[in-house]
Amino acid sequence: MSVTCELTVNDVNHRIAVDFADTVLSVLRERLNLTGAKRGCDQGVCGACTVLVDEKPMRSCLLLAANCAGNAVTTIEGLSEDAIGRALQKSFVEAGAIQCGFCIPGALVSARAVLKRNPGASVDDIRKAMSGNLCRCSGYRKIVEAIAKAGAELAP
Amino acid sequence: MKTGVIHHPQNTEEALVLLAQDCEAKPIAGGASLVAMMNAGLVNPSALVSLKAIAEVGFHTRADGTLRVGAMTRHHQSAESEYLTGMRNCLRAAAGSIGNMPVRNMGTIGGSISLSDPGADYPAALVALRAQIELRKVGEIRTVPASEFFIDWYTTAREPDELVTGILLPAAHAGTGLYRKLARVSGDFAIVSIAGCLSEEGAVSVAIGGCGPGPVFSEEVNAILSTDIVSDNSAEQAGQGLAELADPVDDVRATADYRRLVIPRLLVQAMRELRAGRETLQ
Repeated sequence: MSVTCELTVNDVNHRIAVDFADTVLSVLRERLNLTGAKRGCDQGVCGACTVLVDEKPMRSCLLLAANCAGNAVTTIEGLSEDAIGRALQKSFVEAGAIQCGFCIPGALVSARAVLKRNPGASVDDIRKAMSGNLCRCSGYRKIVEAIAKAGAELAP
Repeated sequence: MKTGVIHHPQNTEEALVLLAQDCEAKPIAGGASLVAMMNAGLVNPSALVSLKAIAEVGFHTRADGTLRVGAMTRHHQSAESEYLTGMRNCLRAAAGSIGNMPVRNMGTIGGSISLSDPGADYPAALVALRAQIELRKVGEIRTVPASEFFIDWYTTAREPDELVTGILLPAAHAGTGLYRKLARVSGDFAIVSIAGCLSEEGAVSVAIGGCGPGPVFSEEVNAILSTDIVSDNSAEQAGQGLAELADPVDDVRATADYRRLVIPRLLVQAMRELRAGRETLQ
């Protein structure tokens, strides 16, 4: 039995027939062709599927699409014109903070949330905020450096 | 192909009616635990009752001083709450050590304790604090002491047609409280955790998490600790008592023997910190 879900993604309203147990992650990837958010563990542990829901980072693999009416979902694609998103993109490239890249969309969404809250976040704050984003290439050091650098450029 | 329905009740009463009509229906709050279990194929509900519109959120101090925590309060709200001071700090610290920021933004205290993962952070804190769990069903409300709520692995005193609607914390809370977790990495479930509080009058209450189907708690051990809060020896001895009462298992995180070994050591450290916290207050 399908249910109609109302989902607002990157400021666009969608009405889609989904199964009641479909997650936001599967709807993003398989129905809306937004493949930035990645399916890693499907358990909320790895962070590769992180999106913003009403500006707060959450796991799209643990959100049911049919339970998100009235919420604004922002994916990595929705941050392409965002000032903090652009600063992060630039600093990640400059710092070489990407290896295989699988975790990076989720990492950027978490990074955007911490810099939005506090562009002057300390390295310790950044490490805490990023503790839920696993990078199996273990490129953490450059990721943290890139976020701190973007923060410094946003709030010199 | 999965099939099922999701209901969207607008208040607690409507949710309770839906749960009473379908004993297979599962309530869903933040989804942080339930959807993970659904994704893993551990539960396959035929119906979900969304609690999204239910306004049981936040903290309210009653006339008698009891603090009521709404079941839909998110972990990040508890981790930052100005209400969770003194001995109640052990609940605040437990909330702050759950998973990571995205999970703390999603999960709720009512949802977490209803699914009752034995490695989760709230159970030990609620038992140490002598919290009461408020359960509602159509036409009935009851409270269960936290020490009797966590019955077995992933099993609580909640009936299928009941909802956890709130958590009640005792009025008296002057003192200090802490929560410490031994885990493989930040945000993981506990290998062993300890929740402890020390009242202004010197009464100690501790509970151990991650070492069996529910928190390990003993009034006799609390009495030993309260009689002599000063010496490491008495804490070590009390810790041995708790280790004997614990029923840990070997799993991917640690062996049962290791868990038993760690309990007294964590307790000695916790008592030192509680004493130091009390001296700061005096």
